[in-house]
Amino acid sequence: MISTQSSEADALGTASFTPLSSNKSPELPELPELPESSEWFSTIGKKLLTGITGLGLVIFVVVHLLGNLTLFFSASAYNRLAHIIERLGVLTYLVEGGLLAIALVHIAVGINIHMNKQTARPVKYAQYVSAGQPSRQSLSSRTMIVSGLVLGGFLVMHLATFKFGTYYTLPDGSGRDLSRLVFETFHRPGYTAGYVVVLSLLGLHLRHGIWSALQSLGIATRPGLYAASAVLGSAIALGFIGLPISIYFGLI
Amino acid sequence: MKINLKIWRQEHARVSGAFVHYTVANVQPDLSFLEVLDLLNEQLIAEGGVPVEFDHDCREGICGACGMMVNGQAHGPLQRTAVCQLYMRHFSDGDTVTVEPWRAKAFPVIKDLVVDRSALDRISAAGGYISVKTGAAPDANAVLVAKPDADTAFDYAACIGCGACIAACPNASASLFTAAKISQLALLAQGQPERKSRVVKMTQQMTAEGFGDCSNHGECQSVCPKGISIDAIAQMRREYIRAKLPFG
Amino acid sequence: MTLNARIPEGPLPHKWGNFKDHCQLVNPSNKPKHTILVVGTGLAGASAAATLAEQGYRVKSFCIQDSPRRAHSIAAQGGINAAKNYPNDGDSVWRLFYDTIKGGDYRSREANVYRLAQISNQIIDQCVAQGVPFAREYSGLLANRSFGGAQVSRTFYAKGQTGQQLLLGAYGAMMRQVAARQIELFPRREMLDLVVINGQARGIVVRNLLTGEFERYAGDAVVLATGGYSNVYYLSTNGKNSNVTAAWRAHKRGALFANPCFTQIHPTCIPVASEFQSKLTLMSESLRNDGRVWVPKQAGNQRLAQEIPEADRDYYLETRYPTFGNLVPRDVASRNAKQVIDEGRGVGSTGLAVYLDFRDAIASQGKSAIEARYGNLFEMYQRITGEDPYAVPMRIYPAVHYTMGGLWVDYHLMSTVPGLFVLGEANFSDHGANRLGASALMQGLADGYFIIPYTLGNYLATTPLPEVDTSDEAFGEAEASARTRTMKLLSIQGDKTVLDFHRELGHLIWNGVGIHRHQQGLKKTIEDVRSLRHEFWQNLRVPGEATTLNKNLEFAGRVADFMELGEVMARDALAREESCGCHFREEFQTASGEAQRRDEPFAIAAAWKYQGDEQPPELEHETLVFENVELTQRSYR
Ligand SMILES: Cc1cc2nc3c(=O)[nH]c(=O)nc-3n(C[C@H](O)[C@H](O)[C@H](O)COP(=O)(O)OP(=O)(O)OC[C@H]3O[C@@H](n4cnc5c(N)ncnc54)[C@H](O)[C@@H]3O)c2cc1C
Ligand code: FES
Repeated sequence: MISTQSSEADALGTASFTPLSSNKSPELPELPELPESSEWFSTIGKKLLTGITGLGLVIFVVVHLLGNLTLFFSASAYNRLAHIIERLGVLTYLVEGGLLAIALVHIAVGINIHMNKQTARPVKYAQYVSAGQPSRQSLSSRTMIVSGLVLGGFLVMHLATFKFGTYYTLPDGSGRDLSRLVFETFHRPGYTAGYVVVLSLLGLHLRHGIWSALQSLGIATRPGLYAASAVLGSAIALGFIGLPISIYFGLI
Repeated sequence: MKINLKIWRQEHARVSGAFVHYTVANVQPDLSFLEVLDLLNEQLIAEGGVPVEFDHDCREGICGACGMMVNGQAHGPLQRTAVCQLYMRHFSDGDTVTVEPWRAKAFPVIKDLVVDRSALDRISAAGGYISVKTGAAPDANAVLVAKPDADTAFDYAACIGCGACIAACPNASASLFTAAKISQLALLAQGQPERKSRVVKMTQQMTAEGFGDCSNHGECQSVCPKGISIDAIAQMRREYIRAKLPFG
Repeated sequence: MTLNARIPEGPLPHKWGNFKDHCQLVNPSNKPKHTILVVGTGLAGASAAATLAEQGYRVKSFCIQDSPRRAHSIAAQGGINAAKNYPNDGDSVWRLFYDTIKGGDYRSREANVYRLAQISNQIIDQCVAQGVPFAREYSGLLANRSFGGAQVSRTFYAKGQTGQQLLLGAYGAMMRQVAARQIELFPRREMLDLVVINGQARGIVVRNLLTGEFERYAGDAVVLATGGYSNVYYLSTNGKNSNVTAAWRAHKRGALFANPCFTQIHPTCIPVASEFQSKLTLMSESLRNDGRVWVPKQAGNQRLAQEIPEADRDYYLETRYPTFGNLVPRDVASRNAKQVIDEGRGVGSTGLAVYLDFRDAIASQGKSAIEARYGNLFEMYQRITGEDPYAVPMRIYPAVHYTMGGLWVDYHLMSTVPGLFVLGEANFSDHGANRLGASALMQGLADGYFIIPYTLGNYLATTPLPEVDTSDEAFGEAEASARTRTMKLLSIQGDKTVLDFHRELGHLIWNGVGIHRHQQGLKKTIEDVRSLRHEFWQNLRVPGEATTLNKNLEFAGRVADFMELGEVMARDALAREESCGCHFREEFQTASGEAQRRDEPFAIAAAWKYQGDEQPPELEHETLVFENVELTQRSYR
């Protein structure tokens, strides 16, 4: 049992690393060839995917927000914008399809990373504390999966409420009166409160998310970007929240 | 002063472990944290017990052998400090200190606070070097390296391979360890020929070892005893884009 | 008996070339048939393993740590010398050779040191090509600094982490060969015996430190690169795992141990603060470029440093050595510190320290200049002591740092056991009685990258090596003896721990074979160490079992070997009736208190031959022949 002179065959074969303990770790370096598209599903590829899709969604959200803000000018401006979008026809579908795909990829990769995290540390720490600055760990970074999933769920509901919600027609019959639906919805206290909560979560998601996306794409090394991410994230959230609050309290 | 210790004890990888409470009296502020563990072990031997095993060697923060979670933080509460360089003057009389091993699937516990970090060696073997034959090198000054690049390369090269970045990462990702080497070599003229293959092979090995993906929590840079910045990780991603993607 | 160093013929500058021109080579197709066992993965071991593997040999590499990258070389701070003469300040191969020979107080071998200086330049080329991020100038060229009082700037460095960067370079080279399956790694293994078959080193017995199993490995040659034995003093700047075990067990199998009493004591370490302290931390001696060393003029001073007026301060190095001042060599600085402390003039709560004061440097150059130069060292000092060296002077004390002694090797780096090669700090070769700063890294890498590939090849090509395997009875005997010794340690179950014994041993050796040595003290040390050793084997308590990770058991084995080594160190110091380099015999000093060398009859390497645990070893020697340098008295006044 004692002498374990490893044989030539061993040396030529797999045992370049003699196992240290019974927990055999993966051997080196014959890695299974991943499929052709593996560059996108490797650990860095996944980051690039979340980063790119995340930034895509940020752009969408900003555009959406700008649209919402037209309501502060007038209901008709808002409705006119809705008409323009409606009239884009096929293009709208293309953009919607694209956005949906982006969102799905973003969600799928996010879930995958989260699940990997579970397997990578099967035994949890009894005590765990962040070491503080310059750590970027925050409530925001730790809750990305939660805020993300809530936002995903919200998206479905949001589409049901507005896009596929009651179709009011303008008095002159010239098209949909979307602003009426918006005003009605945001006079419901429960819905409004829920909306505010969810959009706060969007702010929380973007606080880490925008910076993280830039870091994932390898461009976040400038010192101000982390703070900028917080500012932009909060601005977006506040912008969205401003509308229902204003409607609910009769400010517009 | 008196220090209470709550230490993870585990006989070997195949059994489960548990926390055990100990008290060490007469701890002087000039002792290092590892010296308190030494004291505890002497105490345990005197009582007929079995000492707590932990890895250590240089005890001056450079070999990377030591490493444990102290009160929930990798290497303890002091930044840029390996646990062997943590002195008791940062604790107070009567403190209870929780001590746990690094925890990650890729770092199985060997005994008590000792874990198997050979995964890091395998990541290095996958490409963490420049393939130069002994004796074949040109004169050292034949190739110039701009000082800022050389300095940044040094900052990344300072990694001691302790594994704290992985231990502290909420995802148990080895990105900082891997990126530090990739980025060091990418910044040097000598590292260019293998630049593309290196990033691909090393990151593949990192995944194969069972480390998690990075979520940019950046916790790693706060616990790194050498303060290596996550700029290295950003660089690693640029290297990957350059190596793998059509627009790179 | 006089030992033959097998120095090649020819004038000094051509010896190495002649050797390379005429040595036998191993046919490339035969190289894979040779297995080489390389023990140790420090600079010497890692560079040897990588290079031999690259040449096609099958290499098995062993180390104590969990990863080869953690070998003690990682801790070297200051830098590595080479005769590049990039600064154009008059350096040359000859000058590096001469400084090293002179620095070693003429107790090293001319041919080896000259070869080292010749190879030094290739080392820098090699390391830069590996991506070692040495410090650079704004021009993009490599930067150099003057180190350890050298008159030329020949030291290459990577901040205060040169050893780390060089080792990671060598580690990378090794890992490349691991990936290529040319090197098989065996971490967490401790070599416990050398297997000698038909007079040739043919294998080793190691203990797997995780499972406790004893393992046998056979090969065509054994390369030991297991580092130095400073830890015989218990407190030293070496890593806790540094030990003499591999070298010592090889010694007991017939390899001679040379100059064991040549141990270097470094003057600038952070002083001991508590009795439970486990380790001393070195601070780069570059600090002495700007810091002034002093103690109070009167003994028994109780005042704080700031309260001591200029008139009451004794800048003893500056007064005693007007030319070199604070930059005298390590041994001189350490000896003087010990002397003023022995006079009761030491400072700090223990009285075991002298001041290293930056007040004047800060006043004349500004705090920021000092911070730029030494910022990280000051930070380290503050972290360890809790004191701010910008405000109060540092306290420093000498600490054991390096061991020039080691297994005797010839020009081929082969010990007296054929097939056993010894590299790096583990051999005795190049530093004589005192090592110059930044030359150990150079030697380790010269041995591993550039010398062993030739000399080992020559050995393999010229030596008949019959087939052996691990079932040979020599393996059985070696394993049994390693096992018995290990089990014995566990079974004593006495009252004192390994740490208790190690501390006591350290105390004895520090007092007897430390900075000052004298006949009476050495005789007493021999007796004391011997009786401590006997007590050790009666009264040791090692907890736990032999079948899992058990560091106490590992350390027990190492301390047991240190006990035997310690006695031989004292014998060596006793036999060497002269003062030279770090070996200061009080009976042999000049009128002004400097080391008095006696070249006749002591221009020799004293090599000890093991005769049995209770038998005094037998002294053999190699006569050192100086054909190229004139032996002068070192003078730093
Ligand atoms: C704090 C400090 C600073 C220094 N600074 C400098 C400097 O600036 N410049 C300079 O030139 N020199 C410096 N030195 C000296 C220099 O670092 C060492 O002499 C040199 O690194 C030794 O290298 P090595 O390869 O011989 O051995 P080491 O690096 O000590 O390696 C020994 C190896 O052997 C293994 N080993 C030991 N025993 C066994 C066993 N029984 N079984 C299996 N494996 C074993 C170990 O695991 C390890 O891998 C410094 C030393 C210290 C302590
Ligand atoms: S023991 Fe070496 S880094 Fe802590």
